[in-house]
Amino acid sequence: MFRPEEMVKIEVITLSRFKDPLLTYLHEAGAVEIRELDVELAQRDSPNEYHRKAASYSITISRLADFLRAYRKASGGGIKAFIFPPERKKRKYRYEGIEKLIKDVEDFLSVVEPEVKAVENRITSTQAEIERIKENIAVLELLSAIDLDVEYLRHSGLVEVVVGTVERQKFEPMLKELREVTEGRIAVASRDMKDRILAVFAFLRKDYERANPVLAKYSLERIEVPEGRGRPRELIPVYQEKLNEKERELEEAKEEAAKMAELYYDDVVFYQELMENERDKATVLPMLARTNMTFALTGWIPRKDVPEILEGIKNVTNGKAYINVREPKKEELEDIPIKLKNPGWARPFEMLTEMYGVPRYDEIDPTPIIAFTYSFFFGFMLTDFLYGLIVGIVAALLVKGHRKFNDGTYKFAYTLLWSSVFTMAMGILFGSYFGNAGDIILQYITGNPEAQFPRITDPLKDPMFVLMLALAIGLAHLFMGYSIGFFVRWKNGDVKGALLEQFPWMLIILAIVLYAMPSKPEGALLGAKALFGVGLVLFAIGEIAANGALAALLLISDFFGFVGTWLSYARLMALALATSGIAMVINVLADMVWGIKISIVPLGIVIGAIIFIGGQLFSTAINALGAFVHSLRLQYVEFFGTFYSGEGKPFSPFKSKREVSELELEA
Amino acid sequence: MDPIVYVSLGAALAAGLAGAASAFGVGVAGAAAAGVVAEDEKNFKNALILEGLPMTQSIYGLITLFLILLSAGIIGGGFKFTANTPDNIVKSAILFGAGLTVGLTGLSAIPQGIIASAGIGAVAKNPKTFTQGIIFAAMAETMAIFGLVGALIMIATGVGL
Amino acid sequence: MELGTLSGILNTTLAVVFTWVAYKTGSYIYKYTPYSYPNARINAMEAKLLSEQRFNELAESRTLQNFVVNLEDTEYRDYLAGVSNYIIEEVERALDRALAGSYELMFKMLPKRSRDFFRLLLEEWDVRNIASVVKAKMAGEPASDYVVELGPMLPKVKAMAEAKTMEEILVVLEGTPYEEPYQKLLLGELDVSAFETELYRIYYGKLMEYAASRAADERKIIEEFLRMKIDKLNILTALRAKAAGMKAEEIRHLLIEGGSLNLEPVLHVDDLSMAIAELDSTKYGPVLREVREEVERDLSVLEKALDRHIITRMNELVRFYPLSIATPISYALKKEAEVRKLKAIAKLIEDGARPEVIKGIVGEEV
Repeated sequence: MFRPEEMVKIEVITLSRFKDPLLTYLHEAGAVEIRELDVELAQRDSPNEYHRKAASYSITISRLADFLRAYRKASGGGIKAFIFPPERKKRKYRYEGIEKLIKDVEDFLSVVEPEVKAVENRITSTQAEIERIKENIAVLELLSAIDLDVEYLRHSGLVEVVVGTVERQKFEPMLKELREVTEGRIAVASRDMKDRILAVFAFLRKDYERANPVLAKYSLERIEVPEGRGRPRELIPVYQEKLNEKERELEEAKEEAAKMAELYYDDVVFYQELMENERDKATVLPMLARTNMTFALTGWIPRKDVPEILEGIKNVTNGKAYINVREPKKEELEDIPIKLKNPGWARPFEMLTEMYGVPRYDEIDPTPIIAFTYSFFFGFMLTDFLYGLIVGIVAALLVKGHRKFNDGTYKFAYTLLWSSVFTMAMGILFGSYFGNAGDIILQYITGNPEAQFPRITDPLKDPMFVLMLALAIGLAHLFMGYSIGFFVRWKNGDVKGALLEQFPWMLIILAIVLYAMPSKPEGALLGAKALFGVGLVLFAIGEIAANGALAALLLISDFFGFVGTWLSYARLMALALATSGIAMVINVLADMVWGIKISIVPLGIVIGAIIFIGGQLFSTAINALGAFVHSLRLQYVEFFGTFYSGEGKPFSPFKSKREVSELELEA
Repeated sequence: MDPIVYVSLGAALAAGLAGAASAFGVGVAGAAAAGVVAEDEKNFKNALILEGLPMTQSIYGLITLFLILLSAGIIGGGFKFTANTPDNIVKSAILFGAGLTVGLTGLSAIPQGIIASAGIGAVAKNPKTFTQGIIFAAMAETMAIFGLVGALIMIATGVGL
Repeated sequence: MELGTLSGILNTTLAVVFTWVAYKTGSYIYKYTPYSYPNARINAMEAKLLSEQRFNELAESRTLQNFVVNLEDTEYRDYLAGVSNYIIEEVERALDRALAGSYELMFKMLPKRSRDFFRLLLEEWDVRNIASVVKAKMAGEPASDYVVELGPMLPKVKAMAEAKTMEEILVVLEGTPYEEPYQKLLLGELDVSAFETELYRIYYGKLMEYAASRAADERKIIEEFLRMKIDKLNILTALRAKAAGMKAEEIRHLLIEGGSLNLEPVLHVDDLSMAIAELDSTKYGPVLREVREEVERDLSVLEKALDRHIITRMNELVRFYPLSIATPISYALKKEAEVRKLKAIAKLIEDGARPEVIKGIVGEEV
């Protein structure tokens, strides 16, 4: 807790023939972050023929998977599958080297790819044909304005026929020029179409070449006349018939694709995953160094995984490996990847820390602290027992359904579950149950118009109290942040930084607390002044030390920056009041329509209930979003601003992704 | 002006200005959300959350509207400031001021929507910037929150609920 | 003070505040809203640009067929679907169409007030096509080999390429802005390079005119972009001419107006290396310094460096104005670079170059 996982550096040199098995072992174990090896004597390694094939097949298979997925009969889906996603079965694959794997994939592809491609081609070509027929029909509809036999329009020989459209205002000049260049040997038929003119030209073969540039000059858009005999109007039904037939064919092809999807989809996804992992494995090759007979790799590994990995490497290489495990050097501090280490109850909150940025190796990991402060702020901003209950139920279901995956949804739901507990606690403290709905019902049941759930105060009636509370909490939060920063810096030997950057604010906060105490003990005021004075002087020295001449300006802006940061905690109060306010708005609206009756039908109750339930659910969602965003903001901007850099490099191990496959390695 | 004019203007400006600003803000962010989803449906969740952020200002406006109406007795009971006395005018003017504060600070929903829009684009380019995008957008809301805090204090201490 | 005066002052203040707020809000919305959708979408599209890793994999393709297969899970898929013979021309044409497609998409998405810019940008292909068709015709080569299938005037360009005589081309060009320089070319008033310069002058003149008709940020961004393009063209022309030993008067009329650089001092030096030294004090100095050694041997290195510089600068503008026309321009440049890179890879594969060689050559590209 509070410290990231300890890391050590591992170096391995072994024989080239163990490269593939060793990398595969490490890939499956997923405990080492491989780094580029900087050696001058040896060469960089590079992907070989098989890795290239893996990359290529992975794309081919993913295309097949996309195609089949589109035609797979939908199964499951909906809310249940979201809350309780079924675990996907992992199929075993016995791994005997990449050569064998590539061969297996080739065997698989040689059967499946032609079949799937055939169906795909049938679908696309049928679709293309349907498009073409539709276009032809459109052209025919256009041409039916000129009632000429299609055969004439397609004519080519001694006489060339050109059909096309041209902008209206260009038609006349074009015709004039055409007459000139052909010396009048031209026949034209034309029809108006909105802002263009449809025209048919017939030239003599020998004039055609002179006419053609003129047609281009006036941007005549040529029309391909469809095949067939007879007038356009008579041809349309013929094409319509063709169209229906093609559409039937398309349906058939799609059904076949669905069959194919049922047959092959799982296999395709399985091989896709195998290939993608090979592709991923090949990405580290350029980081390795090799000689003719040997290769070497280096990387970071969490200390606790060392024995297991050492054992594994020895197994894979039959002990023919040089392995060196060493402590990180001082100058490598910046380079050490960070893997957070927290007890189980706080681990899902690591997500929040990671979203901002993991700590540097010598920094403190704030996860256990924000587990409490984040949840508490969330609860403060929502402050309603029943809202908390709704959020809690949803979160609990998600936690139950997703626990086995340990995915983002699980982590987020877990943080929500914590937050909902605080929400409910705050709701009881302020007597808020769907805002004042609880009170109204209580009054109705007891018959006492003054009846209320117990509470410390009503936030809407006494906002000043809530504001003071929020600011006090803010002060405590900031004090904690500055103290942590102070100790971490002190411990890391940066005494000057600790004294000049964090310490002054700690003094100033203490002074504010002393000053604001309701019953001041003897000398409290004097103490407050003294603390404030010392704090301010230290702060000023720090500014001058850090910024030199600019200090005078920054002194003022940074001091008010602190005040702004502190006042920012007022949002705790604003959002808390917003929740009870909006709940009250919904209650008032529901109350207004409640009494409406049409003759004896209590229509008001129905509408009121809809407004009430729908409104409160909406309010839960929107206020929970607000609470999430602003609670996070208070952590990231205000709290982390006091001590935390988040500049560490997250640990990204060389690790396979297995959802539907599992490798059996040779012992 | 009569007290009733102040009170109703205050309520209307709080909910109206903030609501209109929220609508613009959500609109701008929504267009961006539609854009990134058109390219890749995976962006939906992130875009949706960012798009929802500028909505809060309208809620602040609505709450202020109700508090003003409640404080003036229009909801629950009868209008308290029917008489045109200086005291009533001052109280109704305070309510007007509270409404105006929330309405004007609620305009922060527009820049918030624009920030959210840029954020949605950035998230589509690099999903890791999601949290940063949210925090940047939440910055713009600070003004609205301060406005609401101010208005609540004005209503609660100046007039009383 | 009277109660009436007091409320008068109050009302006036309110009116002023509201007018100001309404004006500010309105201009804010007008400025940013139209770019919200396109720029977000373009950002999502940028995420899909091919990574270094992908280019390396593509370089490993060895055959054009594999090359096409390797692109099947990208945006190029639709354009490559028609490729069946796997010959280089077919692939190149498909890639060109893909580029035209993304310009067309920009045009469709962008707000009315600035989208015509992308139509105008496409005309650069017309200029290139016309110039290469005319050059090919004059050299007596088959012109259609040089036509890139892009640009709004493509049908006319094709008709030009099919034309039998130089006069027929004039008929096709009639009524377009390019008619006049072509006439002069036929009359012998212009030589081919001057003709080409004239085409570019017309093209950039049109763009600058368009930029000048825009307002505020849009104008600033577009003008900066155009100036960089013109500067690049002029620098290259001037240096090439200097390398060929041309005189200042001869070079001067090959330069295009509208750039931000005064190239006059460069024109009066004796040789290429002095010309480059002269450019060192301009804002392109840092760009030149990076490639100083290679430039004297091969000017195309400088061309690439300048292209890179334009992209870098546009990226800066994107960060400065995230909701502006800078985003689509920067994307279009990146897409163009990507297509250029893909075409280079395809060509090298066709020529049978080894993957390491391809990676080496393409790695240097923008």
